[in-house]
Amino acid sequence: MFHRGVRALAYLLTSLVLGPATFVWAVVTTLVSGVLSFTYLAPPTFLMVTWVTRWIARLERRRAALVLRKTIEAPYSPWPAGNPWVRGRALVREPATWRDLAWLLLLFPLGLAGALSGVVVAVVDLATIVAPVWLWSVPNPYLPPIVDWLFNTTGGRFVFTALGLALAPAAWWLVTGVASVQARVAAALLEPGPRLRLARRASELASTRRRVVDAQAAELRRIERDLHDGAQARIVAAGMTLALADRKMRLSGQPARDDVSTARRQLDEALAELRRLVRGIHPPILTDRGLAAALAALAGDAPLPVEIHAGDLGEPAPAVESAAYFVTAEALANTVKHAAATTCTITLTREADVLTVEIHDDGRGGADVSGSGLDGLRRRVEALDGTITVTSPVGGPTIVHTELPCAL
Amino acid sequence: MRIVIAEDLLLLRDGLVRILTDTGHTVAAAVATAPELEEAVAEHRPDLSIVDVRLPPGFRDEGLRAALAIRRREPKTPILILSQYVERVYAAELLADGTGAVGYLLKDRVTALDEFLDAIDRVAAGGTAMDPEVVRQLFARNNRDQGVATLTAREREVLGLVAQGLSNSAICAELVLAPASVEKHISNILAKLDLPLADDTHRRVRAVLAYLNH
Repeated sequence: MFHRGVRALAYLLTSLVLGPATFVWAVVTTLVSGVLSFTYLAPPTFLMVTWVTRWIARLERRRAALVLRKTIEAPYSPWPAGNPWVRGRALVREPATWRDLAWLLLLFPLGLAGALSGVVVAVVDLATIVAPVWLWSVPNPYLPPIVDWLFNTTGGRFVFTALGLALAPAAWWLVTGVASVQARVAAALLEPGPRLRLARRASELASTRRRVVDAQAAELRRIERDLHDGAQARIVAAGMTLALADRKMRLSGQPARDDVSTARRQLDEALAELRRLVRGIHPPILTDRGLAAALAALAGDAPLPVEIHAGDLGEPAPAVESAAYFVTAEALANTVKHAAATTCTITLTREADVLTVEIHDDGRGGADVSGSGLDGLRRRVEALDGTITVTSPVGGPTIVHTELPCAL
Repeated sequence: MRIVIAEDLLLLRDGLVRILTDTGHTVAAAVATAPELEEAVAEHRPDLSIVDVRLPPGFRDEGLRAALAIRRREPKTPILILSQYVERVYAAELLADGTGAVGYLLKDRVTALDEFLDAIDRVAAGGTAMDPEVVRQLFARNNRDQGVATLTAREREVLGLVAQGLSNSAICAELVLAPASVEKHISNILAKLDLPLADDTHRRVRAVLAYLNH
């Protein structure tokens, strides 16, 4: 709380100092660029000016971020390539170039107004609080009695301190308020605009969708191959065995017991194969009992003690449940295989519309974060707009943290 | 014996009815949903109910839940759960009341006719029939257990069969062993796992399953 006030005050003071500088920079460079615009010097000058302006804008973004306590994204497209003319044109067409400039101009009047209101209030309040320390140095003769007592006795001067302290919250409120208004204006101009944000989101969605389609195609291929080489082949084999038995029985009139029992064994194997496959596509217990129970079953089957902490998870969408299940299954399998851990903890929480799954083991760490198993899961999680992070320093512990939005 | 069947797939339901009637049993009712099962059991009071885990309308674990509800109302009602998949958790729930007369088998086991019929008899008589797959999951879970670790390979084999619910004579036949040596193996196992010696097969099975399931 105190820190926020100090930060706000620092912001307003630095704005006061930086405002004139950025204003002069913006005006001068705009004039110079304008004058040079009909010469061959225009493109390089404009490129250099824009580069420096962006550097200042980056600083401003960071300053505002300190007050607003959130990161402010940069709105720029990648720095253009090509000859200076092409690059210059690209920068001119980018709205961010002009929005940066607008802020550099605006910082001067806004900084002045902010400092006038905020800094003055803060300084006056502080001065009132410390009145006993300095008021003696300002002689105030010829005052009416009560006012004279206030100004010219130690006890009276402490009344100012009390007053200053009483007004401190109001001053604090004003200073932080003014600073945050200023920082918000800065953020509004320096952040990506709504259109750019949508464009970015669209390209992000296009790329995750492409990855999902790829992942799905790969998954279907895997299932096809498993069915083809596994259950299907075994059923064909059973059919052949039965055909053979049929033929033997027709020729000899004797029931062919060996062949029939072989066929039955082959069918049993086909069924076992199918069960294994079904479990990999969607574990039956997840359908039956939901995520927490399915994970508890998974944990119970693990060869090391696994603790599960699950809050009220509501009923996440099937895709979310399934992703959370397979992330946990994969992480647990990795723990068993590589971590040499003695315990593992799975924590499931749901806050508003985000399901968080964290798998924490006390193993030796150093997991290969780019491994292929994890890559597939990452695609699956990203397809749901979720995030997955793995931290695994050498020496452990390994933590797999997944967040999945439930409102799709 | 008189049997009630709850299975939603017509093909499998008819197959079960045919196998059971061909082998001298009576099918009192063959139903497709969990509520119908509860009604049929209340009406016919069968010697055994054979129930699929996944039943309409939800296609989740309605069959299992209905079975547990029936056994809560009428303890020791013999029920054999048949399913396309086995889940150790479900086995634990069925065994939880410790009264026996339960079974949990994969549907595939029906094709091993003699063993399936034997399992039916066992459950109807108050015993237990656990699928080898359930037992495999239980063993996998206990692979670091101190007691299980001290067992010899042969004793583990015997323990697996005991856990499935087989009687001594059935174990003798399965492993081609003399009754005396099977008995010796079993008493060794019970001693190593620190379980009470019980003459009653059903009680012994329950103790072993409780140990593996703890």
